[in-house]
Amino acid sequence: MARWGMVIDLDKCVGCQSCSVACKAENNVPHGSATEQRQRREIYWNRVIAVSEGEYPTARLEFIPMPCMHCEDAPCVTVCPAKATYHRDDGIVIQDFRRCIGCRYCLIACPYGVRSFNFKDQQEEEYHRPDLPPTRADRGAWPFPQRVRGVVEKCTFCFHRIDQGLKEGKKIGIDVVPACVEACPSKARIFGDLDDPNSEVSRLLATRGSFRLREELSTHPKVFYLHG
Amino acid sequence: MDLTYSPIEGKSRGYRIMVAILGVMVAVMVTSFLVAYLSGLQVWGISDAVPWGQLITFDIYFIGLSAGAIVVSGLSYVLRREEYKPIGRIAVLMGLLIFTGAMVCVLVDLGRPEKFWRLFMYGYLNNMTSMFALNSIWYGGYILLMLIYLWLALENKTKLAMIIGTIDVLWAIGVHSFTGAIFGLIGTREILFSPIKPFEFITAALTSGTALLIIVVVAAFKFTNRSLDKKVILSLGRLLSIIIIVLLVMVFFDKLTHIYFPHRAGALFLFTGRYWWLFWIFQIGMGLIIPLIILFHPKASRSVKGVVIASISVVIGVLGERAALVIPGTAQVQQLYPGTIEGVWGTAGVFPIAFWETTLSLGIISLIVLLFVLALKYLDILPAKESKEAPEPTGESVATNEESGDSIAANEVAGESVATNEG
Repeated sequence: MARWGMVIDLDKCVGCQSCSVACKAENNVPHGSATEQRQRREIYWNRVIAVSEGEYPTARLEFIPMPCMHCEDAPCVTVCPAKATYHRDDGIVIQDFRRCIGCRYCLIACPYGVRSFNFKDQQEEEYHRPDLPPTRADRGAWPFPQRVRGVVEKCTFCFHRIDQGLKEGKKIGIDVVPACVEACPSKARIFGDLDDPNSEVSRLLATRGSFRLREELSTHPKVFYLHG
Repeated sequence: MDLTYSPIEGKSRGYRIMVAILGVMVAVMVTSFLVAYLSGLQVWGISDAVPWGQLITFDIYFIGLSAGAIVVSGLSYVLRREEYKPIGRIAVLMGLLIFTGAMVCVLVDLGRPEKFWRLFMYGYLNNMTSMFALNSIWYGGYILLMLIYLWLALENKTKLAMIIGTIDVLWAIGVHSFTGAIFGLIGTREILFSPIKPFEFITAALTSGTALLIIVVVAAFKFTNRSLDKKVILSLGRLLSIIIIVLLVMVFFDKLTHIYFPHRAGALFLFTGRYWWLFWIFQIGMGLIIPLIILFHPKASRSVKGVVIASISVVIGVLGERAALVIPGTAQVQQLYPGTIEGVWGTAGVFPIAFWETTLSLGIISLIVLLFVLALKYLDILPAKESKEAPEPTGESVATNEESGDSIAANEVAGESVATNEG
């Protein structure tokens, strides 16, 4: 079984937020109003934070794109009382809207703040997916046709693309990648199988210095950053 | 000593007005819940930055009050101390009703409350590594134990009440330790993460539970014209002062651990951040310092009034302590990457007091008070008025009878003011 991971080259990232927009388009993540954004109630599956250090003339600004880190030892999976968030066999941390009871314990436990709670009914066109019809029989490409309020949402590494691609025999990481990887104009994001020594991600991790966010917490994220 | 219990008559105008007002507040509670349920939790003050708000604050506060009341009831039913007998039943009743309120809090706090049953699908549909799932065992068992305990106390089955009471007291300690563990085990939140949290929770529970019991007992006995030995209240006051000192030591070392080592951003945020007043004014000031001053004051500590004022301070202070855990604990910005995070992602969370959330909290408090006053009327909770003493203070009793309507109304007002303070 593959172990999906992502490498983000901070040297290439220009902070354009294309990944955030592509993610919203792909997964029908609702657009919040400016007020909701200020109140921290807008749903983001992917965001880009800007981190500054030092003062002029030695100031430094870095953009850190942040999808879900898909930790190997994920605190959210440990604390979820309803088995709504769990690891798939390929290591992707999934949030099942049908199971989620909306207790928000995972938001408390997540060290990266990548989870969002759905605070209201979103406009219908924002989550209706006519192009990916869900069938209950084999869960379809998109298992959550209805976005419901009162549950927690998060990045899925676009597992619907991966599953569809595997079914069609395509190469994941080359032919099929998550929406944010596809949309990145500077090709800062690379997706692939961490267990496959020939994959682009493995090659990059072997040849370049990398780090993960908050490594001291030992959550072992599967999103790696190359130094900028 | 043979003690008989009797219900209050509950026919005075004041009592009826009180029940009516509380009934209206319960209707407000139901409305607030429906509003939040139908329009989503956007009507509350919570956000992704502060995911838990008033309801969780009141939830852990109520669980603490309940655990405290049950432990104090053990003085009467487990340790068989005769002098505490008059307040035994009232303590068990309080434990049960306040815990019911806590369960209402946690239920309405869920984003999808209709799916709460998942918590009780042990091992099959729920995840037993979650403190919430474990707590469903503790909480469910606790409610059952308290129901049996109250029934045994009402039936005067003292032997069985002692056995069930002992189990219940131990269970209450477990309940509250695991409630503390909900917060204490979260390693990513610096303010919450602490192995001492479960013990701190129990100790805070004992202080607030004892304090609320003192207030309720004094109020209930006063406004129903029953006599209570002053010594009971004063000895509860002494008990309270000792537990507060234990709590002070725990809080001191908890915060010292968080501030001593350079990794101190969390403690600094708690002490000097946006919600510094929750910690300094409520938790430290009203929860620890003021009651200690009163309870060690040579004069004030020997008057019922002084003990009651100290208790009110503790009850409000411990609510502040819960809020100082839930709100700054999550509002603090997590250090994702060295440097300053710019913009909205680097701003500490804000928790506004939202209308529908506040009405819901006040409504749940009213529900508890309503159940309590109804229980006083329909169950034998309070000791019967002693017929020997009744003729003695004739002038006084006439006066109080005349005023009984007003005085119960005053009790109501006092209850309300406590409620609004808590809100």
